[in-house]
Amino acid sequence: MVRGARLHRTAPLLATEQELSDFLKSVEKRAFKRSYYHVRNEESALDIVQDSMMKLAQHYGDKPPNELPMLFQRILSNCTLDWFRRQKTHRAVFSSMGEFVAAGDDGGEFDILEALSLASNGERVRSAEDLAHRTQTFHAIEREIERLPTRQREAFLMRYWEEMDVAETAAAMGCSEGSVKTHCFRAVQALSKALQAKGIEL
Amino acid sequence: MKTSPASIAEQTLELYARRITTRLDDGLAELSHEVTEPLRAARMQALARRKRPVAMRKQVSVLTRLGSSLALGGGGGGWGYALMSAIPVLALVAGVMVMGSLQNETGISEVVEVDAALLTDDLPPAAYADPGFVQFLKTRTAERH
Repeated sequence: MVRGARLHRTAPLLATEQELSDFLKSVEKRAFKRSYYHVRNEESALDIVQDSMMKLAQHYGDKPPNELPMLFQRILSNCTLDWFRRQKTHRAVFSSMGEFVAAGDDGGEFDILEALSLASNGERVRSAEDLAHRTQTFHAIEREIERLPTRQREAFLMRYWEEMDVAETAAAMGCSEGSVKTHCFRAVQALSKALQAKGIEL
Repeated sequence: MKTSPASIAEQTLELYARRITTRLDDGLAELSHEVTEPLRAARMQALARRKRPVAMRKQVSVLTRLGSSLALGGGGGGWGYALMSAIPVLALVAGVMVMGSLQNETGISEVVEVDAALLTDDLPPAAYADPGFVQFLKTRTAERH
C-alpha cells in the first residue's frame, strides 16, 4: 500500500510541497469521515478538516513527511474537540431556539437501513454479495463505529484505518501505548459483538 | 509453532479490524462531490499557506566560501532574502537602543535620589564641607562606644 510505504519512511528529509500535497490527498477523505463519525454533520466535519489542514500546513509544513500522519491526527482531534467546545457555548446561548436536534436527528434513515439489512440476511444469498447488501453492511459498520465511545473510536480508526503503529497512535492521542491497545481491543470487541448480533459476518 | 493463545486472539482481532477498515475504505469511493470538492479546495488553500522550510529554500548560506577563507554575504539571493537577513540586524539595533535608554534612565534616577536625599535632609549640604562637622561626628561616635 502506498500509504503504508510513506508512513514507514525513515529519511529525515523535510516535506516538499508535493509530499505535503500527496499526504493531505491521501488522508483527507478518511479525515472527513473520522470527523463526521464524531460530529455527525457534514458541514461541520468539512470545516474541521479544513481547519486541520490549514493548521498542519501553517505550523508544520516544514516537518519531515514521516511525522505528518501523527501531527495531522493530533490536530484533527484537537480541532474536533474545539468544535465541541464551541457547540457547547453556542448551545448554551441558543438552547431556547431548539438547537438540540442537530446531532441526533439522523436516526430515522439508519433504522430503515438496519431493518433492510436484517431482512436481507434472513434469505442470505452468500454466493453473490450484491451491491445493495454491501452498502447496507457498510452503513451498519459506520453506525456501530459512531456508537463507540470517543477514545475507542479514535484509537481504532487511527490504528487500523490510518495504519499508524501503537506508538504513533499513543503520541497522537496523548496517552500511553497500553491504553491505545486497550481502547483498540475494546473497540474491536464491541464492533464484532454488535455486528454479529445483526447477523453481519465479515 | 510457538504462538501463544493471546497472540492468536490478537491476530484474530486485528484481522477483523482490517476487514472493517476495508469496508470503510470502500465507502470512501462513494463520497459525494459536495464533500470531495470542498476537501480538494481546502487542501489547495492549506498548501498555499504552507510554512516553507527556510533553510531548504535558499541553498546559499550567509557564509560563503571564497577560496580558503570564509566571508559574509554572497549568493546574490534577491530582495526577500536581503529583507530576511536585515531582520536580526534591526532587532539587534533596536535592542541596543532600548537597553541604552533604560540604563541611562536608571543612572539618572540614582543620581536624583541621592540629590533629593541630601537636599531634603535636616542637615544642610554645606555641613559636609565643614571640617569641624566631621570632627564632631568622629568624637560623637567615639563617645558612644
